[in-house]
Amino acid sequence: MLYLKDVTINRGSKIVFYNWSAKIENSKVTIISGKNGVGKSTLLRAIAGMIPLEKGIVKNFNNEIFKDKIKWGKNLIYIDTKNGLSKDLTVLENLKTWSEMRGWKTSDDDLQKALDSLEMLNHKNLYISQCSEGLKKRAALSRLYLSLLFDVEFWLLDEPTNELDQKSIILFNKLIQRFLENKGTVLLACHKLKLFDFNYELLNLDLLKK
Amino acid sequence: MSLQSSFIQIFVSHIKREFLINFRSLVDVISIISFMILIVTLFVLGIGPFEEKLRLISNAIFWIGLILAIIPSLEKTLQRDYDNGWLDQAITSPTPMELILLSKSLAYWLIVIIPLLISLPLFIVLLNINLKLIPWLLISILVGGLSISLIGIIGSALTLGAKRGNILLPILIIPLIIPILIFGVGISEAVRINESPLGNLFLLIGFTLIYLVISPFISAFLIRIAISR
Repeated sequence: MLYLKDVTINRGSKIVFYNWSAKIENSKVTIISGKNGVGKSTLLRAIAGMIPLEKGIVKNFNNEIFKDKIKWGKNLIYIDTKNGLSKDLTVLENLKTWSEMRGWKTSDDDLQKALDSLEMLNHKNLYISQCSEGLKKRAALSRLYLSLLFDVEFWLLDEPTNELDQKSIILFNKLIQRFLENKGTVLLACHKLKLFDFNYELLNLDLLKK
Repeated sequence: MSLQSSFIQIFVSHIKREFLINFRSLVDVISIISFMILIVTLFVLGIGPFEEKLRLISNAIFWIGLILAIIPSLEKTLQRDYDNGWLDQAITSPTPMELILLSKSLAYWLIVIIPLLISLPLFIVLLNINLKLIPWLLISILVGGLSISLIGIIGSALTLGAKRGNILLPILIIPLIIPILIFGVGISEAVRINESPLGNLFLLIGFTLIYLVISPFISAFLIRIAISR
């Protein structure tokens, strides 16, 4: 259980969350919804440790997650709309350098399988600068397959389905189901709830935030 | 299955990534060195055919040319990875940001130094540099270049996300580069007037070691601030 207790989160000079508490179930998908600008991305970035909490704590089974940032970093994958792909590298090179950066020793076979999980194998030698937005997103999401091979507990995904076509959304659903079988927890910020064919908890920020 | 690589392996693989990116867009690398050649050529032509004058200031021209040529490219070193979200990925990974930044500045140093060493004969001819100076010049470029790239990373992190960062950056980092310029030129000057350059060299190495220790921490701190905005 990820437990946010009395958190205050500021973005610049704007207070986005004030003395706010929430619980997020483990081994489940939680979809964060709400209108634009309500703070979906801010919440995800704060849980990922990118925005420091002004006040309050976030606990994962009684461990304060920001006490040990390296351990928390091992536990989570964060993918947002920026993707984190270098345009001068190919799809395969981006995935490889990313896994090396996390300190994962992955074989070529693993990388191929990861790209295949979102049907990116045919595009693996394409430079990111030549890719469409959908292909970029698929290249970024193929990291999720790699994380199944390592002990990652949390996926924090900020609008992952925006640019994806129908086929890719099905593949994305499959990845999430595999992750749930591995007892993984998914936090997903999204508007279009119809796209998913798994059970999810809904965290509606419009209703919860006062 | 899950094999964790050591910090050294992460460090080396990150240097490889920087090399791959920078030598893909070779224009950036070539522009640094061609800009330096331009600055030096302008100085030499401006001085005119007076060997005596040139000999007095050739070391200073070389260093100023190097510093001015490096500065425009510094902004890009982190800005590119900030814009495409790579730094977000790095900060949410188990690898310490400091390690990534240290490898980034070392990679940047190599990327600047290698073309500079290749084109060194050209500068020696252009500036009429004495042959006995060359080994000392090499050492001072290698050490001084490392400090410049370490300082540059701080400046680059400081101006992340800032508008007009390309103007702000030189104003912020040139004061930090001044000691490097003084001792770098000092080494060559000492050799020219037949004195021992070791004093200046040790000071230059000392400054470089200080920057080597503090630069990754300062820039990691600055990047965390930039990302939290």
